[in-house]
Amino acid sequence: MGEQTISEHLRAEGVTRREFIQYCGILAGSLGLTALPSGLHGSPDLGRRALLDRVVQALETSPRLPIIWLEFQDCAGCTEALTRSQSPTLVDLVLNEVSIDYHETLFAAAGTAAEEARLQAMETYAGRYVLVVEGSVPTGGRGLFCTIGGRSATDILDEAAAGAAAIIATGNCAAFGGLPKASPNPTGAKGVWEIVEDKPVVNIPGCPAIPEVTTGTLAHFLVFGKLPELDALNRPKTFYGTTIHDRCQRRPFYDAGKFAGSFDDEGARRGYCLYKLGCKGPTTYNACATLKWDGGLSFPIQSGHPCLGCSEPEFWDGGGFYQGQSAPIGPPGLTTIGLVAGAGAVVGAGVAAANRARRRKPAPTAPTAPAESGGEP
Amino acid sequence: MSWHEFLRFLRGPLFEVALLVFAAGLAYRIFRVVALGWRRERAPAMGSRAGGVVTSYAKGIGIWPFIPWVKDAFRGNAVTFLAGGLFHLGLFVVILLGTAHMLVWKSLLGFGWPTLPLPIVDFLAAGAIVAMIALLINRFTQPVVRKLTGPAEMANWIFVFLPMLTGYMMTHHMFFRYEVLFSLHMLTVDVLLIWIPFSLIPHFAFYFFSRTIHGSQFGRRAVTP
Repeated sequence: MGEQTISEHLRAEGVTRREFIQYCGILAGSLGLTALPSGLHGSPDLGRRALLDRVVQALETSPRLPIIWLEFQDCAGCTEALTRSQSPTLVDLVLNEVSIDYHETLFAAAGTAAEEARLQAMETYAGRYVLVVEGSVPTGGRGLFCTIGGRSATDILDEAAAGAAAIIATGNCAAFGGLPKASPNPTGAKGVWEIVEDKPVVNIPGCPAIPEVTTGTLAHFLVFGKLPELDALNRPKTFYGTTIHDRCQRRPFYDAGKFAGSFDDEGARRGYCLYKLGCKGPTTYNACATLKWDGGLSFPIQSGHPCLGCSEPEFWDGGGFYQGQSAPIGPPGLTTIGLVAGAGAVVGAGVAAANRARRRKPAPTAPTAPAESGGEP
Repeated sequence: MSWHEFLRFLRGPLFEVALLVFAAGLAYRIFRVVALGWRRERAPAMGSRAGGVVTSYAKGIGIWPFIPWVKDAFRGNAVTFLAGGLFHLGLFVVILLGTAHMLVWKSLLGFGWPTLPLPIVDFLAAGAIVAMIALLINRFTQPVVRKLTGPAEMANWIFVFLPMLTGYMMTHHMFFRYEVLFSLHMLTVDVLLIWIPFSLIPHFAFYFFSRTIHGSQFGRRAVTP
């Protein structure tokens, strides 16, 4: 640990120079970059070779990047996804070489020893560590819905955020509140960026977040010393720049109007579009269709399941998972529609009755106007 | 407010309000007319009411649209007749037999039905949009129709045209992000639903009442509808 560079650490671990360069190449590729981000080292048009050089240089000269990983109202699914990732080069790089100094799920220590380790890491790497948050932050009940070591989640988050060089919210819960925020949101759950307002928070939403996106974002910070370019929801554009629909392998079937009508019909067997089964791909921005899961093996739509839209805010309340996206959210029932229509009918019939009564009894006293001639034809 | 939040509002609360206004308003409009009642038929029946109704629909839907030249309306202004027919056909197919729209019906009624392939629906939707533009031009170039055009007619045209245009753009992912197009489509649909009871658009429901009633009366009197 200490000020040993990543390259030195890898060499000590027995990684050869050739393997190290391969690492760097994979890292550059995983960042989704074909050129250096604009504003870095002069020209924005430097090519792949320059990018690789930049990655090599960063890993050779940078000390390991300390990470403090906090978990609040979460299921540890994002951590599970990360540790079970089948693309070991990048994830190993982050987990083992970038160095996670505090992580509740992965930590061997427990109780006060773990808390002391966190405080020590925060003190040692003050202003340098990356804070990764998993899980939403409850703000209701004076923070009592989630306490660790007797302290509320908001308290711990505020303390950890103060000394962080960058903050990354991984998973939909930490980014946008996720499942805990679903209506009626009993704990007053919020995403990290709704609480930490004085520092930029990078959102890596997903349920769980794609491991390579989390680690890729960390790697970007490691290599370039700054956060990647973000969209309006603070998601890295590299990974959240296009919709699932735009990159979906079933897209031609959508364009041709060929849909699976159920999970076991002929259309489903032929791999037709899952729009009718509730796919939220058209409005969901994520990298599932390109990076995929388990080392590029598959992703939900490829496996025959519609996209749930898990990288978008409040996706739990965005209509039924298996209801077509065009369907309204929480439409009134037929009984309500019937009652309202009935009320309209009663009023209409009332007006009609009044008109009939008026027709039957024309006002007898009204003076008749003199007949006009030569008016409009 | 992000586009996603706006879209949730348009698909959720606003759609609900729009649908209820539509349902109540349409029921009001229909009952206001139907509850006026009819004059008692004093002459003895010369034919069958049911037969008259069947003949009336058969001619109105099955015969006249396919031999339009025999109608005075066609001879007077063929564009109104042809473009109007194309528009109504396209609208009917898109709303009932387009997959995305069938899913809306399914969510409301609890059951769905087979839909037409997208290319066919798409072709008819494009035809309906072109027909609407033709009808608008016709409206301003023909003196008689021009004289009948007021703010209410223009509002009808705009409120019907916009959902069709945004729906077409949405299907083809044109110019804007999908959630933006989806939001614009839902917004225009919600506005249209609210507008319908205040306009002459309820003829889609009145049509069936008038065809049935007139067919029945003609049938009873044994005259050709």
